Amino acid sequence: MSTDAVNTEPVEVNPVNQVRSTIYQLLSSLFAKEIDHKTLHDLTSEQAQNFWAQLGSESAFKADVNILVAELATLNTDKALLELAADYCGLFLVGTKFSASPYAGLYLDNKPTENGDEPLLFGEQHQQMTQFLKQSQLQVQSEFPEPADHLAVILAYVAHLCIHSDEAVQLSFIEANLTNWLSRFVDKVTEVDNGNFYQALARLTLSWVKSDAEWLASELN
Amino acid sequence: MNRRDFLKGLVGTSYVVLSGSSVLAPLNALAASGADASDGWLTTGSHMGAFKMKRKNGVISEVIPFDTDMYPTDMINGIKGLVYNESRIRYPMVRLDFLLKGHQSDTKQRGDFRFVRVTWDKALGLFKDSLDLIQTKYGPSGLHAGQTGWRATGQLHSCTSHMQRAVAMHGNFVKKVGDYSTGAGQTILPYVLGSTEVYAQGTSWSLILEHSKTIILWSNDPYKNLQVGWNAETHESYAYLAQLKEKVAKGEIRVISIDPVVSKTQQYLGCEHLYINPQTDVPFMLAIAHEMVEKNLLDNEFIEGYSLGFDKFLPYLQGQTDGVEKTPEWASKICGVSPEVIRDFAKVLTKDRTQILMGWCVQRQQHGEQPYWMSAVLATMIGQIGLPGGGISYGHHYSGIGVPSSGAAAPGAFPRNLDDGQKQLFDSTDFNGASSVIPVARWIDSILEPGKTIDANGSKITYPDIKMMVFSGNNPWNHHQDRNRMKEAFFKLECIVSIDMNWTAACRFSDIVLPACTTFERNDIDIYGSYANRGLLAMQKMVEPLFESLSDFEIFTRFAALLGEGKAQEYTRGMNEHQWLEMLYNDCKASNEGKFEMPSFEEFWKAGYVYFGEGKPWVRHQAFRDDPEINPLGTPSGLIEIFSRKIAHYEYDDCPGHPTWMEKVERSHGGPGSKKHPIWLQSCHPDKRLHSQMCESTEFRETYTVKGREPVYLNPEDAKKRGIKSGDIVRVFNDRGQLLAGAVVSDKFPQGIIRIQEGAWYGPVGKDGSKEGGAEIGALDSYGDPNTLTLDIGTSKLAQACSAYTCLVDYEKYQGKVPAVSSFSGPIEIAL
Repeated sequence: MSTDAVNTEPVEVNPVNQVRSTIYQLLSSLFAKEIDHKTLHDLTSEQAQNFWAQLGSESAFKADVNILVAELATLNTDKALLELAADYCGLFLVGTKFSASPYAGLYLDNKPTENGDEPLLFGEQHQQMTQFLKQSQLQVQSEFPEPADHLAVILAYVAHLCIHSDEAVQLSFIEANLTNWLSRFVDKVTEVDNGNFYQALARLTLSWVKSDAEWLASELN
Repeated sequence: MNRRDFLKGLVGTSYVVLSGSSVLAPLNALAASGADASDGWLTTGSHMGAFKMKRKNGVISEVIPFDTDMYPTDMINGIKGLVYNESRIRYPMVRLDFLLKGHQSDTKQRGDFRFVRVTWDKALGLFKDSLDLIQTKYGPSGLHAGQTGWRATGQLHSCTSHMQRAVAMHGNFVKKVGDYSTGAGQTILPYVLGSTEVYAQGTSWSLILEHSKTIILWSNDPYKNLQVGWNAETHESYAYLAQLKEKVAKGEIRVISIDPVVSKTQQYLGCEHLYINPQTDVPFMLAIAHEMVEKNLLDNEFIEGYSLGFDKFLPYLQGQTDGVEKTPEWASKICGVSPEVIRDFAKVLTKDRTQILMGWCVQRQQHGEQPYWMSAVLATMIGQIGLPGGGISYGHHYSGIGVPSSGAAAPGAFPRNLDDGQKQLFDSTDFNGASSVIPVARWIDSILEPGKTIDANGSKITYPDIKMMVFSGNNPWNHHQDRNRMKEAFFKLECIVSIDMNWTAACRFSDIVLPACTTFERNDIDIYGSYANRGLLAMQKMVEPLFESLSDFEIFTRFAALLGEGKAQEYTRGMNEHQWLEMLYNDCKASNEGKFEMPSFEEFWKAGYVYFGEGKPWVRHQAFRDDPEINPLGTPSGLIEIFSRKIAHYEYDDCPGHPTWMEKVERSHGGPGSKKHPIWLQSCHPDKRLHSQMCESTEFRETYTVKGREPVYLNPEDAKKRGIKSGDIVRVFNDRGQLLAGAVVSDKFPQGIIRIQEGAWYGPVGKDGSKEGGAEIGALDSYGDPNTLTLDIGTSKLAQACSAYTCLVDYEKYQGKVPAVSSFSGPIEIAL
């Protein structure tokens, strides 16, 4: 993933929106692929410790941030990283019933279309997200060969919106494309996860999105 | 804390949390310019027929039958789901414990344990390392890469050819002989009629319709089975079946279906049913022969002129060799057909022109050679072999046999074997005294009992000590018998590699899993109609390979590159996909020069097809009948062998020198084992799948499942006795295994018989229905794979083929914890 669309932001960005964008981007990255040595290093650096501490200062995030930090601290061997990668694989890379594949289409009720039942993967939600991205002159990275309704894509797009659109647009996108299925996804991750990391990450994502949507709503009022 | 303050507090801490990247990129110019240029209708095909497919916004949106397909299968509704289903293998994956410990991994974890995603380079590297290790430590007898199956269609991308050519470039390996479909038939019939017959072109339907007065469908369901073909199926046979239906209605042709159940074909044609107890065709046939002799209904002249050994068979028929005269009364007690009906049937067969059409089911049982041999003897006694609309066929339900061949030359294919002079990385041919080729269905025996010597088709086979298996486009966890026994065998294997599109059970029981793209994600060409050879079909790529899947061509080109400098080039002969297709097409064009007009490759590709026209009607064995000396059969004598000296010489107790009735180890309706497990399990080819292909197509599967499970068809009285009604979940069991299936109570299924169609994806869960324990012996199959229950023995010392139809079970209403179906979700993790 060499080209970074999110780096093409305008020069002056409201620092609060920048920080929101970064958090969405962080969550996107953690759902996009397994944690490797480099990511682990980034997430456990001194700077990152400060970030986690600040994030955990909010009571809604505290418990899950603590779990994530504790879990990251245990990843000190190759085997531990591989075990976490196996958790990731079982959750997000295979099947749908016994896993928690992160595609919005799986968690929304699909209405029958003119062509009959929509397929499970690359269905209506994928098409819709592709259109959203296109409107923003974006597309899914070719190195990320996943449907556009993958959670990582949706979160990355919100990260983009945080600095490229007004709050009303952000809120309506989040409500129409994220909060309407995220809790079902999080329940599935919690049910299926053998470890602790990804269920904590999923719960943290849900509480973050919820509180962010509330904040956007209050800003708009 | 105030939200704004909280967010401000994060400013400065968050910028450097992840120095990474985004899953988004700027829209590229091409995509920005508007609609995808490649959207629109394209031509392609599969085993299920030729189609037109619509691509919209880069996704397959519609599939409709090709213009020429007048009888498309409704499996066409499952095509889209083959591409976009939850079972797709999205990335190369390796079982975690194998990644950590390699050939010392805990093999008992196979089947429901943890995988991790790896790069293609890593996965192919591990594959090659394993092959190195096996060849170095054990030599070629340690590797079996010869279990191959129905693949996907396409002359270039055929997965079997790619895998075997590439693995052969590395080293030698154990291969199979025969197949699961027709193992006994294709072995016995060369002794009797001089060819496999099962895969031979048959008398044209038009001549059968014109000349036959009686047609016997012997355990044969062409209306069900002709939906699919080895190549893109034209479905032209259905036009003839429609004509036959009319003739049946008008009383012009009498069609009798000899079958334990009411077949789909019988229902379609509205023809007669002659019920017979399962596995008892041979006593029935012997009694017919006995009656023909008694009443002198046989064609002595034909027997005399065209066959050998009737005199050696007759004493057996009359009871002089074993003290049992094969009278209708004797047979009736076994086969359940009354002596009167048997006597009448002998008259029916011999009264007028009679075409016997055998299905393949009756040879997939213990002593499966016998009903085929005996049916050939009956046809010889009737004396109509080689006449239009008479004689016997073993293939009219398969791949359009009976539709006349156009006579055009078919295109070549990507080579399965090494090129002349190609050097292997490991060139040892030392199989440590073991056989390099084993009967297809005996590989589990071989893994479990290496070094054991068995009889097979006149030879001695010594089982190799197999340590590694490679499967490509092949799901033996569908077609092999007895899952618990397979698990025992797989515990002994050091490494298993599967290359497939979807997470079949074979993939779930593997160590290295490589994602191949589907037929619709690459360009190819196919023969339109396997036997009709009606033309060539362009298989135009519909969409780019999903996720990180690759075409078989690409997978094994990359693999070959690991074998050394220039090896990838050697593998592909220096040609890419387009160049291969052009060459295969142009070679075919050259072969047909002056006989069949073919346009340039570009024109062909644009049109999507080229037609060769219709062939001329033809009669099987007519040349032999015309002059058996000039056109002898391929038997040792050149004649039909009612008695085979060759087989007699083998001195097999389970396959003597002439057709013989032998009791089965398990048989319903009063036979051995029927007191304990009274129900015969029929596991025929499915109506809504091609073997296990398309079971993963979610929406289509849901059109026929019951509570998400494979249907089990039950006799009304049997079901009532067990308190079961349609829609209930049923546990089917015997001493070998247990499965759950969804009840469909139907009067098409007589007492003592159930049907579960093969190809239902194996989805083991714990014995008691809990999520954990699927890898264990005795696991409960949550979906309804009949081979959880079937018997894993050879048909006889002759063919050593599979005996899936020799299988007794019982069933009950399932009262336990109902598990979710685990077959389609890829590997399932269990808690440590």
